[in-house]
Amino acid sequence: MELKICHLYPEVLNLYGDRGNIICMRRRLEWRGIGCSVDLLRIGEKADFTQYDIFFIGGGQDFEQEVLLGDLRDGKDKSLIAAVEDGRTFLTICGGYQMMGHYYETHDGVKCEFLGAVDFCTVGADVRMIDNYCFKLGAESGGSTVVGFENHSGKTYLGAGVNPLGRVIKGNGNNGEDGTEGVRYKNVFGSYSHGPILPKNPQLCDVILESALVRKYGKAELEPLTDSFEVQAHDAVYKMITGA
Amino acid sequence: MFFKKDVLADVSEGMDIIVVTGTNGKTTTANMLESALTESGQKVLANKSGANLLSGVTAEFCCAAGGTGKPSGKIAVIECDEGALKQVVPLIKPKVIVVTNLFRDQLDRYGEVMHTLEQIKTGIEKVPDAVLCLNSGDSLVSSIALGVKNKVVYYGLDMPFGDQNPRVVSDAIHCVRCGAEYRYNFYTYAHLGDFYCPNCGYKRCRPEVAVTSIDQMDADGTDIQLVAGGEEYSARIGLPAIYNVYNAAAAVAAYYAFGSDVGQMIDTLSRIHSSFGRMETFKPGRQPVQMILVKNPAGCTQTIEFLTSLGKDYVLILGLNDRTADGHDISWIWDADYEKFAADPHVLKVYVTGDRAEDMQLRLKYAGLAEDKICLEKRTENLLETMKTSSAPVFVMPNYTSMLELRKLLSDATGAREFWEKQE
Repeated sequence: MELKICHLYPEVLNLYGDRGNIICMRRRLEWRGIGCSVDLLRIGEKADFTQYDIFFIGGGQDFEQEVLLGDLRDGKDKSLIAAVEDGRTFLTICGGYQMMGHYYETHDGVKCEFLGAVDFCTVGADVRMIDNYCFKLGAESGGSTVVGFENHSGKTYLGAGVNPLGRVIKGNGNNGEDGTEGVRYKNVFGSYSHGPILPKNPQLCDVILESALVRKYGKAELEPLTDSFEVQAHDAVYKMITGA
Repeated sequence: MFFKKDVLADVSEGMDIIVVTGTNGKTTTANMLESALTESGQKVLANKSGANLLSGVTAEFCCAAGGTGKPSGKIAVIECDEGALKQVVPLIKPKVIVVTNLFRDQLDRYGEVMHTLEQIKTGIEKVPDAVLCLNSGDSLVSSIALGVKNKVVYYGLDMPFGDQNPRVVSDAIHCVRCGAEYRYNFYTYAHLGDFYCPNCGYKRCRPEVAVTSIDQMDADGTDIQLVAGGEEYSARIGLPAIYNVYNAAAAVAAYYAFGSDVGQMIDTLSRIHSSFGRMETFKPGRQPVQMILVKNPAGCTQTIEFLTSLGKDYVLILGLNDRTADGHDISWIWDADYEKFAADPHVLKVYVTGDRAEDMQLRLKYAGLAEDKICLEKRTENLLETMKTSSAPVFVMPNYTSMLELRKLLSDATGAREFWEKQE
């Protein structure tokens, strides 16, 4: 068995240790004897998106995001939307997560059109939501608790009938108002948690890997791993955030 | 602390001042400048403790001024935080401003690299008479010269150094002027090197203060050839690693721009040994314990490359805190190249400590380090015992507040003087 990962725009969307999510997926597949390859797809580069099982899109600096929106509109947008509808797995973080929605409207009313692959939108706010936070995954994503670090001023509002990735236990999540965090649509996982999200939350990592294995091979039986360091790191941060 | 608004302008009036700013190397570069000026017989005011925000700089000048409220000396070397530059420089009107480099650092305090660059520019626009010393190989730093009136002295490496593979993780991929992707004739480290933009033509300027060769580099220091103002010099820097070569070039450039004798600065560089936690050596037992402050991925990866190139057995202690002075977000550890430690057979054991030791432990596991080589130890008395009894040299890589703790532990144990007494 093998999973092919496409890391989109690694040269611009690589803030906040995003690389750690790729390292984590690769290792957890390798430790189970499952092959893994990672292709980096930069601005201006073309590829057949139907060859990939997992797409990873991270967060980036504002100045560089303008550069890649032009590239998206040059055909990648349609291929990505088709991949979403085809049930391929997406892990999208911060700016990459926002990009899956309809648009980002800045605080002073400038609207930036995004992919619209999932029904949600983001509105710029003047307060930065920034700190360690935690949330509980929805049942369809395994139900475990996730710890991470959020750092965003955009407030994301999900469309009616679109499921969040989880419910905030402590922190802001999507908008600091409705208790939702991230999005789960088909096999699209979106979150504001960088940090990176996966290493300290191995159950979520395995749910993501399983979603790709099931789509490709019809079933997935991931052997349990000795996650003692993972659990230690998760629990230490969880305790720091919640005091419990 | 409360001050009369412009008190800093009063207590610094008439002084000749060098300001050092940038992400990495501020303290070391300022220390080199202060040492050279002191050795030349001058009385120098400096903010040695690293208090580099407006309040700290003001306090330093006020303490020196004493009761009279008048400047106490003629010369000052001031390390200044990138964000505080725009508040500090209009008041002290420096003769020279050195910008070392720009990397991602403590993102949750300052936002992004481009924001930091804008803040530095805002400060510099307020002092058009200051001579700028800019790192020619850093596309972000050298772009400060675009659109300002100041006289500029460029410094840097005029030669390739280390790994020449295109950078996967970089803090500056796209042209700061037009957005096209940079190309490089050579790299030195991280995003530094001989960059050029194939679209708009923005490119590295040949440095006036240029390192032309690195002849020898080991744990004690580096031998280089350097050209400044058309003169050639052989120099010994009493500090190892490539980033200290850049720091030395920055110090030479500032000294040159300040109108001082470059030969005398070169002489001083051989006697520079360390500044506050940045490559400081202690001897608590039989083996040396060297402390190297790391606080962002670029500096951390450079330190890792340096240690894994030594070719001798060593023990590591990695300290990670997440307090306000460190930045609460520790995710940068995933961008530093700890994988190189996993590939180095000379790493005997790695101790992890600090508020976020569990995160560091996890990072090492995913870097590929064997779990039985990793030891989580939060009790500093046990770490001290490890350092005392180690049979191999120990390298300690802490971030800022972890460095303060571990340095106190080591100086209490060895009777080393506190940093503010160190250079007297």
